[in-house]
Amino acid sequence: MRRTVLSAVALACTAVLASAMPAFADDPSPVPDTAVSPSASPAPVAETEPSPVPAESGDPAPAEDTGGVTVVPSGAPDTGAAPAEESASDGLLVGGGAAAVLAAGGAAVFLVRRRATGE
Amino acid sequence: MRPLSRRVFAVGAAAALLAGCGGGHRARPSATGRPRDAASAALPSAAPARVLGRSVPVRLQIPAIGVDTPVMRLGLAPDRSVEVPPLTADDRAGWYRHSPTPGQRGPSVLLGHVTVGVHGDGVFRHLVRLRRGDRITARLENGTAAAFTVGSVRTVAKADFPTEAVYGDVDRPELRLITCGGPREGDEYRDNVIVFATLSATTS
Repeated sequence: MRRTVLSAVALACTAVLASAMPAFADDPSPVPDTAVSPSASPAPVAETEPSPVPAESGDPAPAEDTGGVTVVPSGAPDTGAAPAEESASDGLLVGGGAAAVLAAGGAAVFLVRRRATGE
Repeated sequence: MRPLSRRVFAVGAAAALLAGCGGGHRARPSATGRPRDAASAALPSAAPARVLGRSVPVRLQIPAIGVDTPVMRLGLAPDRSVEVPPLTADDRAGWYRHSPTPGQRGPSVLLGHVTVGVHGDGVFRHLVRLRRGDRITARLENGTAAAFTVGSVRTVAKADFPTEAVYGDVDRPELRLITCGGPREGDEYRDNVIVFATLSATTS
């Protein structure tokens, strides 16, 4: 008898809990629902605000006619390729200059030696 | 053999002299002059600045640094950075097509190279010389023109590129011109040069 009563109580509790679950589940849903509905209402407002601008200008590109940058690039632009050819030619000039200086030095030494030997 | 010694000495001296001459700087191909045609960049029937409709830029003129260039369209590179014009001898400026067109409300962004590798100077070689008050004219596909006045020229490290200042929303028509600058690190420049300008006149 006792067992039957306890079983009945347990069953009743389970039923109550089971029926309460949707209620619990319902609780959060009104929050997003109400949150969604206000956010949905500003969206049309935002859409209607820019639209007069293209309407004035009569342009066919409303998607990009928002008065701002629609896609912001990442990083910094690479707008300069170093003139490599210039530095290579500079290197050649420096090398040529050094060779000429060496040749001049050799010639001077040759001259001094010749004079020293009395020729 | 004294005559021989003299000859050797003379040859050596001539070689040194030639080396000294050759070591000088080679002639720069493009010393950009002052405006070759300032009148062409002026807006005879200019009206007070008003916001223009969307029309892509086809030409950019900056008389103060001798720039008169066609304008191409640029998008995004695969790495999500902004595209830049190709490295060619006939270097030109490019308009970032996800930005407003010149004269529209917002920051219209145009880019150009400072140097183009083996081809030498880029179209924005002397952008850093612009000063507050200089005039920039963008001619649009629909025949209108937008004249901008330089407000400031900033040189910033690429590592600290001011994304918000360049691409961020503004409530009036503005222009951004971007190139590279500063010291070179290998094949790249350390900095970006950015010109900020505001709309000052338009033609219809």
